[in-house]
Amino acid sequence: MTKTLLKVSNLAKSFGGATALRDISFDVAAGEVVCIIGPSGCGKSTLLRCINHLTAPDSGFVEVAGSYIGRERKADGKLRMQSHREIDRMRPKMGFVFQQFNLWPHLSVLENIVKGPIKVQKRPRAEAEEQALALLQRFGLRDKAHMFPSSLSGGQKQRVAIARALAMGPELMLFDEPTSALDPEIVKEVLLFLRELADSGMTMVIVTHEIGFARHVADRVVFLDRGYVAEAGPSNDVLSNPTNPRLREFLSQITSDQPAAGKGSSPAAEQPIH
Amino acid sequence: MDFSVAALGGAFPQLLPAMGINLAISLVAMVLALIGGTALTILRTLGIMPLNAVIGVVISFIRGTPILVQIFLFYYGLPALGLDLSPIQAGILAIAFNSSIFITEIMRGGLSGMDSGPVEAAIALGIKGKVIWTKVILPQLYIRIMPPLVNELTTIVKGTALLSVITVVEVLRTAQQVANASFRPLETLLAAAIILFAVNFVISQSGRILETRFAARRG
Amino acid sequence: MAFDFNVILDNWALFARGTWLTIIIAVAAVAVGFLISIPIALMALSHRRTLRWIATAYVEWFRNIPFIVVLYLFFYGLPFFNLRLPEAIVGTIALAFFASSYFAEIIRGAILAVPKGQMEAARAIGMSYFQGLWEIVAPQTVRLLVPPSTNTSISMVKETSVLSTITVAELTYQGLVVQGETFAPFEVFLTTAAVYWVVTAIFAHFMHRAEKAFGAAQGAHQARTSLADKYLLIGARRPA
Repeated sequence: MTKTLLKVSNLAKSFGGATALRDISFDVAAGEVVCIIGPSGCGKSTLLRCINHLTAPDSGFVEVAGSYIGRERKADGKLRMQSHREIDRMRPKMGFVFQQFNLWPHLSVLENIVKGPIKVQKRPRAEAEEQALALLQRFGLRDKAHMFPSSLSGGQKQRVAIARALAMGPELMLFDEPTSALDPEIVKEVLLFLRELADSGMTMVIVTHEIGFARHVADRVVFLDRGYVAEAGPSNDVLSNPTNPRLREFLSQITSDQPAAGKGSSPAAEQPIH
Repeated sequence: MDFSVAALGGAFPQLLPAMGINLAISLVAMVLALIGGTALTILRTLGIMPLNAVIGVVISFIRGTPILVQIFLFYYGLPALGLDLSPIQAGILAIAFNSSIFITEIMRGGLSGMDSGPVEAAIALGIKGKVIWTKVILPQLYIRIMPPLVNELTTIVKGTALLSVITVVEVLRTAQQVANASFRPLETLLAAAIILFAVNFVISQSGRILETRFAARRG
Repeated sequence: MAFDFNVILDNWALFARGTWLTIIIAVAAVAVGFLISIPIALMALSHRRTLRWIATAYVEWFRNIPFIVVLYLFFYGLPFFNLRLPEAIVGTIALAFFASSYFAEIIRGAILAVPKGQMEAARAIGMSYFQGLWEIVAPQTVRLLVPPSTNTSISMVKETSVLSTITVAELTYQGLVVQGETFAPFEVFLTTAAVYWVVTAIFAHFMHRAEKAFGAAQGAHQARTSLADKYLLIGARRPA
């Protein structure tokens, strides 16, 4: 039986008057790729940020490989807030890839990747560099090692961001809208890249508004609507035969919006939704 | 040594009237500086190169030298020119001159951000320069530069305290006199500090409120 | 009315000594003041309201009162804590604290100007708040700090003249001494002012060069690496 790598229980988060998440619960098993979809502003990014505690949830729990992050439920059932240090230690277990990549502009590509292993994991520089260069090699960016982020294309920046997260040896990877900041032409490239990553066994949670993307990459899909998990299940089932009316509405809107003959990069246009 | 709160409290009634002197000096200096600064600005727009060069040097001098030295120049220097001024008069002139330089620079900044359209239209309509200035440019300009002007006022208020050095009996010098009598220098000076703080704080807060009101009106 | 240069020439040693002390005090006060301002700036950025309030009160206090008052407060206040120090030290300490309130605002502004995502990426990797500040945010603030810090430093050079009121033998004090002996106010104070003018101009010049150097450093680094890149790739096969 595959173990549960990520367990989200009853997560809730409000900002001032607005409630982003009401009662979110779902699991992710080791090796699974789960896509979180939903209309914009439904709290998808907030959910992702709550998972690695970049945003502190108001209530609920997040467990990664059996350990709580941030809010902890003790053996006696009582709540304990973890210290900053404990949270810092948990974070690298979830590689977070930001929508805007957030590469550090004053450091070279190589430095971006080795900073974490050296400063946080206290690994020796030689080892960290070796690993970094291997990652760059695997991603086809070896020749960019000493260049700076500003000279990279969007797709390249994303791969460096992914390498930076992978260098910390995470249990799972979190992606916030991986295609949003990139040109539509390379969405397919990104898709293939992430598919490859998934095939290598990495557990992934991807927030995306691209349904075609979800269809091709996800094992399971979680549909978020107005702060709740409106529907969840294997991606083909959910996306082809949605039971939730709001999801049906959402999916039909998406296909009608997307142009039929794009640049050949939106798979959804090629596959009609029944 | 022990701190006497009584001495602190007791100093206020003696110092507050003296603060009135600081305020009076500040107001006079501010008015003079506004007039001087405006005059300088208008002169600079005339485009007379030698004049602008001289003004440029004076501006660099005033900005690059301490105001205390400028005060000494006026206080010790003017009598040597035959001008017999009281310390307070010399002080007001020094502060006003200093501020008029900063104000003309503030106005220059404000002018550079203003649209030349209305002025060109006025010139095309044959309206005289003086009228263009007084009816078109200056009203808009003063509103635009209100925040830095308020800031300049706080600078002037702070400058008046320096006049204690040239024997002007304002709040700081009064505090020193009271302290000499009471042997409580720290308490007395702290009272003077609190008064000066309160005045400048009120001025800058009012400035901020005015700023938001004007910003709303300008839309 | 002629300008009697002899007044200056005869007393040039005093002016020189005064200038030297002015520079030393200004440099020391600016350096210490900058260091003091860092915790204040961090407090101003804190999530905890109490810390923010303390930092705000600190900054507002020093910015709303004249330096001469700050100086007197230290002059009469330090003995209360049984600290009896030479006037020049007292003056430098007072100026350092005064400067720190200005630097704190500058630093706070610079940190806020760094995009939030930078710190978030650092935290996501597992860095602590302070690690993120030190490794990622601070280096990106340097370029933003130089221009306003230059202006503040120059202002502090001018403020040293106030130290003359507590008999610190800096430039203005020497000017007063010479004036007291020669009664040549124009010669004395115009020269005094001119020295400040030159000192601040030199200071400004070096700071502008530092500005350019910092701004260019990152740009040049990139230019260098891309040139090296092009050079290195000549004749080599590009990786698939």
